[in-house]
Amino acid sequence: MMKQKRSSLLGGVTLATLATVILMPLLLPSATLATEILIFAMAALACNLLLGYTGLLSFGQGIFFGGGAYIASICMIHWNFGLLSALLSAMLAGALLAGLVGALSIRRKGIYFVMLTLSFSQMAYFIAYSVSDWTGGDNGLLDIPRPALTLLGFEISNLVSSEAFYAFVATLFMLIFIFARRVIHSPFGTTLVAIRENENRASAVGFSTNHFKLLAFVISGGITGIAGALYAMLLNFAPLSNIELQMSENILIMTIIGGTGSLFGSILGAGSIVLLGDVLSSVWPRWMILLGIALIAVVLFMPSGLWGGLGSIADRWREYRRSKEPEAKSREAN
Amino acid sequence: MSLYLFQILNGVGLGMIYFLISVGLTIIFGLLNFVNFAHGAYYLIGSYLCFTVVALTGNFWLALAIAPIAVAILALITERILIKRAYHLPHTYHILITLGIALIIQELTISIWGPIGKSVAVPEALQGVFQMGNFFYPKYRLFVILFSAVIAFALWLLLERTRFGALVRAGSEDTETVSLLGTHIHKLFSITFALGVGLAGLAGVLAAPIRGVHPFVGVEVLGIAFVVVVIGGMGSFTGALVGGLIVGLVQSLMTTIWPQGASLMIYGAMAFVILLRPYGLFGRA
Repeated sequence: MMKQKRSSLLGGVTLATLATVILMPLLLPSATLATEILIFAMAALACNLLLGYTGLLSFGQGIFFGGGAYIASICMIHWNFGLLSALLSAMLAGALLAGLVGALSIRRKGIYFVMLTLSFSQMAYFIAYSVSDWTGGDNGLLDIPRPALTLLGFEISNLVSSEAFYAFVATLFMLIFIFARRVIHSPFGTTLVAIRENENRASAVGFSTNHFKLLAFVISGGITGIAGALYAMLLNFAPLSNIELQMSENILIMTIIGGTGSLFGSILGAGSIVLLGDVLSSVWPRWMILLGIALIAVVLFMPSGLWGGLGSIADRWREYRRSKEPEAKSREAN
Repeated sequence: MSLYLFQILNGVGLGMIYFLISVGLTIIFGLLNFVNFAHGAYYLIGSYLCFTVVALTGNFWLALAIAPIAVAILALITERILIKRAYHLPHTYHILITLGIALIIQELTISIWGPIGKSVAVPEALQGVFQMGNFFYPKYRLFVILFSAVIAFALWLLLERTRFGALVRAGSEDTETVSLLGTHIHKLFSITFALGVGLAGLAGVLAAPIRGVHPFVGVEVLGIAFVVVVIGGMGSFTGALVGGLIVGLVQSLMTTIWPQGASLMIYGAMAFVILLRPYGLFGRA
């Protein structure tokens, strides 16, 4: 009974995501804004795989995001890579970087792990800063092309209009969302949750937990790399701030505020923060204070984030309905 | 030769400042068992308070006396109001709540003092250079080395030779037992937190005349403090001292060899230590 309800609910999540993705460009003022939301939702989704499902709090997501953006841009600028091959190379770069950072960081657990990821994030920033011949250093990489989408030699769309690019990003996002859901519900994903809940027990049962954690890292890094590359294509620009610690923090905050219990939460988190930033940043440049306050509020009052908050409201509504039912019945009897 | 001596002294000075930052982080972690992600932000406040006091009164010594205490009081207030409420929660939540505090502090700093960095004048008494034979060294930097060595010694005495220190060390081993033996553990937590954060504030003041003040330095400082404690081993006074000096020396010597890569190398040093000794030089498994 319980299981049945759960699986139908999760099918609903995919539909809700699809509906959100379709409605977003219609409701928001510009397709560019909607695209930015989906790109960060992708990054938050990848972060959620680590934080929500494996219990790994990584401050390294910016490395993969910025790394993906740089690699895709360099491939397109220097070697004329096409759209899909640039995205593929960004994914590989993200996965490879995540493999490296992950392999070193998971040598330690808990708080040390978190500190290591943060330090590697700083390290990546200084690398990007010092190889300015490739990354443009402080100025960032300018004039990044947005190649046309071609498949088997046929041009499907030139992706010049922001709507066309949104459609492309949205398709990619849905594919990644479905992939992430498959990962979570696979035996691999359940093992990740087992590691989150009790790593010692998972390893005592016979799972080589470090391999699982590393693979989770690699998957997360690959997805984040794609998000970074798409962001560079959206802006036609890859700033140094892509790889700053602030980027890692932002992705993390989106994930947490959205809620770590559900992949849909990542869309909520990314959406609300990108929108908030879009509305406020021109009026009040210091709007990030709100993020700090929101973060503290989530920790103290709503540990399951926006999605969890909505869930508990729904639960209360159901309880309220149930409490009304016997009353109605007794009235009928009278 | 004298160039290298110059850089070594620079490295020791930088290392002592890194020590002051990291030892606070380490003491707090040892007793309270949580990592303060706002540590760099409190350093930031210390350095900006130093800037303001010097700008208003022109007296650096007043800044040196007031700013660390003000930072410690601020830490006490945030601990009482916010952080206290997260003690019973898992590690992740400690990180997030202090990350939120760090973000608020950084943005408030920019609102108050503006996004552009400022410089702080070296106090008059310490302007100029110290001369020995044909070797010259800035007086202020020499003062930083000596002053932080005195603070380090005082801190060691406090932790090793006083009742308070004994309680902190005992609490780091077993909080519950210390609490059961009749110590007001939450009071001890608050004082230790304020002490550790106050040391970060002090480091901010000492570094201000050398490096100036800048609103985004908090993150950098936090990253370096993490490198120090990862190299030295978390929860260890000696580890913080040795780790701080190693990081300071590596950074300073690399500046002469490969200036762009100086910051990069300290993270490289950290990766190296992690590969060889995952628990740091003085850490326990």
